[in-house]
Amino acid sequence: MTQEYYRHLYVVIEQIDGKILPVSFEMLGEARRLFDDFNARYSSNEKVVAIILGHNIKEMSKELIAYGADVVVSVDHPEVKDIRNIIYTKIISQISTDKEIASKIEPSYASEFKKPRYMFFAADSIGRHLSSTVLVELDSGLASDINKLVIRDLEVTHQIKTAGKPVNFKKTLEMYRPDFSGFLWTTILCLDNRNNPVIERDYSPQACSIIAGAFKPISPDPKRIGVIVDYVPKIDEKDLRVKILSRKVIESEVDFESRRAVVGFGRGIKDAPEKNIKLVEEFAKHLDAEIGISLPISKNVYPASPSISSTYMIPARVIGTSGRKISPMLYVAFGISGASQHVTGMEDSEFVVAVNPDENSPIKDQCDIFIKGRMEDIIPLLLEELKQQQQVVQA
Amino acid sequence: MAVVVKLEPDFSEGSISYNPDGTLNRNETKSTLGPHSRIAAQAAFYAKVKYGARISVASMSGHVANTALQQAMQTCDAEVLHLYNDVLFAGADTLGTAETLKAGISKMEGKMDIVFSGHRASDGETGQTGPQIAWKLGFPFLGHVISYDVNLEKRTITVKRLLSLQGMPDVIEEVEAPLPVFIAIDPSYKHSFDTVSERLTSEKYQREAYERAKNYKDRLQVFNSEKLGVNRGLIGLAGSPTIVYDVQRVPKGKATRHAEVLDGSNPEHIRKAVARMREALSAMVTK
Repeated sequence: MTQEYYRHLYVVIEQIDGKILPVSFEMLGEARRLFDDFNARYSSNEKVVAIILGHNIKEMSKELIAYGADVVVSVDHPEVKDIRNIIYTKIISQISTDKEIASKIEPSYASEFKKPRYMFFAADSIGRHLSSTVLVELDSGLASDINKLVIRDLEVTHQIKTAGKPVNFKKTLEMYRPDFSGFLWTTILCLDNRNNPVIERDYSPQACSIIAGAFKPISPDPKRIGVIVDYVPKIDEKDLRVKILSRKVIESEVDFESRRAVVGFGRGIKDAPEKNIKLVEEFAKHLDAEIGISLPISKNVYPASPSISSTYMIPARVIGTSGRKISPMLYVAFGISGASQHVTGMEDSEFVVAVNPDENSPIKDQCDIFIKGRMEDIIPLLLEELKQQQQVVQA
Repeated sequence: MAVVVKLEPDFSEGSISYNPDGTLNRNETKSTLGPHSRIAAQAAFYAKVKYGARISVASMSGHVANTALQQAMQTCDAEVLHLYNDVLFAGADTLGTAETLKAGISKMEGKMDIVFSGHRASDGETGQTGPQIAWKLGFPFLGHVISYDVNLEKRTITVKRLLSLQGMPDVIEEVEAPLPVFIAIDPSYKHSFDTVSERLTSEKYQREAYERAKNYKDRLQVFNSEKLGVNRGLIGLAGSPTIVYDVQRVPKGKATRHAEVLDGSNPEHIRKAVARMREALSAMVTK
């Protein structure tokens, strides 16, 4: 078929003011693991290619190789110092279709090369939009917010893709996307239209955006050998029309770092959100704890007064892969069932107490004390006992 | 100006209907204006009051949506409602959806200066469709917008964007872009009308919108694929590179701790739990 046009795995790196974001190393780590296997099973000549744009970034290429890239395509130019969607989209698309770069990556594939086989972006404020526009430019498919990846040959039968007949798709990237609860996984595939007589089309690269914190970076090896390609971009003045006027760092009101205790709540608030959050608030006050939430709470699906929802049901409080990682001396989880994405965010806590009516919920395997019961019943009891014990100490 | 709104399943009680296999029955389920789309419509209303903008609403739906379009009209006092409705549009991923919406926006009367969309939808929430429509239209895309102002003479827009990145403090970025532009409105977007005349205008438009929305069907234009003139290979299932292959439960993770199970109804157990918590906090552990 047309597989020879599409080669390698391109990873789009994000850096801000000379600092590579952790998600970029995580993506490279997963790319390395997938391609060690790919190289052994399919072809040893396909590579993990990191793309990095910025200004005065020469040193970073070596770091990316240490973290698993075989090839780094680096664009060092004052116009790409800050991330701007249009110019970044154009340059990344140029790099992804450039035969000369392809010949430096792997000469034997260069003559037929058209586009990458796979492409990774970060699912964050930058990568979410950048991946969307690049994939329109490259005219292929994109899955978002992925936390598991598998490459294998798959037999697929689909109404449109295969006109209802089984077709074997080689080297297919299975992209797993957790739903907002964290308990359901949807597998998304990007497949060519291989059927007759409906419209035949190639869809490459198979691309996705990856959740920060979902994968582990490899331990960096400064001795790893790789190829660095310095690319001089073709810049069209009209692609520079968007100007960044200023950037201001804002302090978060949420402080997980300096508190000894963190109290989290999740979907267990559902029967009486307002009342339950107020209970959590009071409990946290007694422990001088910061308040965190599980991801579903930030989606504002539970009704509460504006002051409560704008204080607590906000992304800045999310503990988990799509939020913050915490490591307090005490973490108390109320009504949190323990989806893996939440566990990743709290597993470094010293001591964990969970309150949940369901003894089969996964959080039970991730805590030191499990109190069986509903938060609305348990918190008042805990509060009363806490007040008593604190009084004893003061007396 | 155009507002792209997403009609989402109404998850409130009594409005939702499931198929026998447990999937959402989109034909029976009532649709509602999604919360992110509502904020986008509110942001467009600001331009109507402040700059006298004329607003069109674009939406896609498998069946002729009613209350949701009415809600959208009421929120932004739109003059025109576009609905793209065709069985050929169905089953599209973000690329196929973007192609349909691009075609629709291009068909709107007058020149579009600003296209507004919500941040992401609550039923699919990829956040990809907005930027993909923008790229197809050839408009600059600015996401996470929390406020904006337009300079009509220079034909530019200045926006503030809220950027959250892993391991970094949040950043507010101020950006200037030429019109036309596509902006996606952040959930924390806010505007206020500063002058008395703006406030009066806003109230007047709201009253008019309320009246007009009663007869929203007079302003409704429905397009199928033929009327939009879209290439059938670029829309719906045929124009969608990605498919949902499987849905499964995420397997349970490995146990990292062995919990002592306490009974919440036993006062002795509560006492023990509180004592252990206080112990954990007083422990002289250096982290």
